[in-house]
Amino acid sequence: MAKRWEIEKDGKIITFELNKGIKFSDGTELKADAVKFTVEWLAKNHPLGQETFESAEVVDDYTVSIKYKEEGFFNLAKMAEFHMSIMSPKSVKPEGDPKGNFVWPIGSGCFKAVDYKEEQYAIYEPNPYWFERFGLKPKFRRFVVKFIKDEDTRVMALKGGQVDAISDFIHGGSDYTPRNQLSVLESMGFKVFKRNIPLTWIIAFNYKKEPFNDVKLRKAVDLAINRDDVIKIFDKQVLPAKTLFIEDAPGIKEAKAQGVIYEFKPDEAKRIVEENGYKGLSVDMIVDKNQSDQILVAQLIQQKLRDIGINVKLEILETGAYRQRRDAGEYDMRLYYIGGTDRRFYLRMFWRFYPGQKWSAYVSDRTGELCKKILKEFDEKKRKQYLVEFYKAIHDEHGVVPLYFDIMTAVTAKNVVADYYHVFHYPNGIPFGEPLFYYVGVRA
Amino acid sequence: MKKYLIRRVLQIFPTLFGVSLLSFSLLYLFPGDPAEFVAQIRYGVEPSPQIVEEVRRELGLDEPFLIHYFHWLTHVLRGDFGVSWTEGEPVSKLIMQRLPASAELFFTTFAISVAFAMILGVISAVRKDKAIDHFCRIFSLLGISIPSFWLGLILIWIFSVQLHLLPAFGYGGIEHLILPVLTWSFSFMAIKTRFVRSCLLEALSQDYVVVAKAKGLRERVIVFRHALRNALIPIITYFSLSIHHLIIGSIMVEVVFSWPGLGSLLVESVFKRDFPVVQALVLISGVVFVIVNLIVDLLYAIIDPRIRFGD
Repeated sequence: MAKRWEIEKDGKIITFELNKGIKFSDGTELKADAVKFTVEWLAKNHPLGQETFESAEVVDDYTVSIKYKEEGFFNLAKMAEFHMSIMSPKSVKPEGDPKGNFVWPIGSGCFKAVDYKEEQYAIYEPNPYWFERFGLKPKFRRFVVKFIKDEDTRVMALKGGQVDAISDFIHGGSDYTPRNQLSVLESMGFKVFKRNIPLTWIIAFNYKKEPFNDVKLRKAVDLAINRDDVIKIFDKQVLPAKTLFIEDAPGIKEAKAQGVIYEFKPDEAKRIVEENGYKGLSVDMIVDKNQSDQILVAQLIQQKLRDIGINVKLEILETGAYRQRRDAGEYDMRLYYIGGTDRRFYLRMFWRFYPGQKWSAYVSDRTGELCKKILKEFDEKKRKQYLVEFYKAIHDEHGVVPLYFDIMTAVTAKNVVADYYHVFHYPNGIPFGEPLFYYVGVRA
Repeated sequence: MKKYLIRRVLQIFPTLFGVSLLSFSLLYLFPGDPAEFVAQIRYGVEPSPQIVEEVRRELGLDEPFLIHYFHWLTHVLRGDFGVSWTEGEPVSKLIMQRLPASAELFFTTFAISVAFAMILGVISAVRKDKAIDHFCRIFSLLGISIPSFWLGLILIWIFSVQLHLLPAFGYGGIEHLILPVLTWSFSFMAIKTRFVRSCLLEALSQDYVVVAKAKGLRERVIVFRHALRNALIPIITYFSLSIHHLIIGSIMVEVVFSWPGLGSLLVESVFKRDFPVVQALVLISGVVFVIVNLIVDLLYAIIDPRIRFGD
């Protein structure tokens, strides 16, 4: 959307020059005033906007200057978050009022919202202006998203031909096509589109209290976990996390080259446990009942830790009870996720590793300082260097235990015309975590 | 009779008060911080402690229990259940949007289940310990034992995936109604069949049936004119009280078939900790149950004078 941007005062002010000719789905042109309106509306109505924006100023029709509350690269990274999407001032009533009520989504993306019913369906049509901008011709006339809560019903609706595609939804937990169904669907002739995303499931410790305030014990747990066994729970559709994030995530390849790898060494784990007097230790692990696959993962961890002499008491709790225990710090271990889809990578780095965050996974003086530097640094090379140091620090301190990398999938019927590139990339080649359906069609 | 009527009507007020208190208390009984749930759902991001506090204040969760309850009750008495914490819509509007789908599913299931339960229950009682009775009892046992979500998935697999005859999910024409009704009716009628059978068996063991038989009356007359009519009182009561299923009875069926009824609204609201909706649904369900109970009691008194005099 932006042609170029200028950074002032270490990123406290960023002036964006917009591309000309971008149109909203109602045909009006996206100009600087729409950006100003969106910034002001978000600053009034959304926590992310409230903590990010101070003000916005229209320089000319296609140039807008945004003033942020804090300095740093994080401001720019946050602009990729979907909440920050620029919307038409006509989306609210009274029109263009930053205090106005949101009434209808009018954006500049590939879809134009036509109708929706909460928790039932949403109907879209191609936004002709978007397709025109990228020189594409839409392959569909209408795109209907149906809400099917039960995962098995979703799969059967696809098998029964009542829907043309099913997709995962991963935003703070997951609701996805059962992983053990993917190869079955593929063998039946359905097309499975799968992308590894920088979202890693981990063991998070209550590292502020005994016994996991001891790095040696955290190391023993880390070495006791065979990640190749973990992925069997998911029919090997996911990858074992032998690094903190997938290789495509910034800095991971470089960190790996420096030996930042998570290994399975049960004998060493056993030795550490015995030498440090932890043999027979009992620890509590809390699991959210809503995440059924995580119960299986937790049971596997329980078994692996029993092999090295640690007894894990599993407590499978309703979500509210789980959160209560988590917030009160009444647990020793739990399963958690770090990272997210590509665009949320830095935002979740802030939530999970920045000092003072309620939703953190692990913070130490060293990792906290590095996290601050990463989110401040505009220079990509330097940022990558800090990231490598950060991965190394987490590894040295055994702050978390990576288990497996989550995936994003879409499964389509035989009559759906789609290819991997278009499902996971924008027309300009930028990869995208969630499946995009702008260039799919259904053969009659 | 008048005194009995007044006394029974007055008795429901403490019950309704108890129901309202219990419905409201759910907010405080559920584990977890509702403000955190609501903030996360509303904004789609992990909220900071400040945002959670703001939401808590906005929702009035920082008020003492009794003040909060009093505010809520005064609004409820005026028919105002408040505004959904996550949807921003009036609760009554959300309920009215879902009521038609729930009513359609419930009343169809109810009608089919009652009809079959009566037929199977009577056959089973009259042909006690015969092959048909064993069949009906096994059928009832299966209906009680098989979980609705499992049966629903099996029916989807047969009729949607294999035969391509019926849709697997959604709300719409009559074709969407068949599988959810079939799934729910199976368990719904199973319990009722057992009940009809046991009530009728009890009636058939009474002295007046022996007398009727001694008089040489035909079996059909004994069963339908004498035994069944007497057995109908507990049967009608039991069937009438199942009205509360209108709201909470179809949760599993609604989830499996993505049926947009009140059961799925209740489940979604519990998961989202949208307490105004949960409280309203629990309260309405309780009130409906209490009122139906009252009507049945009053009808009892009209049908059977022993009840009001004995009382």
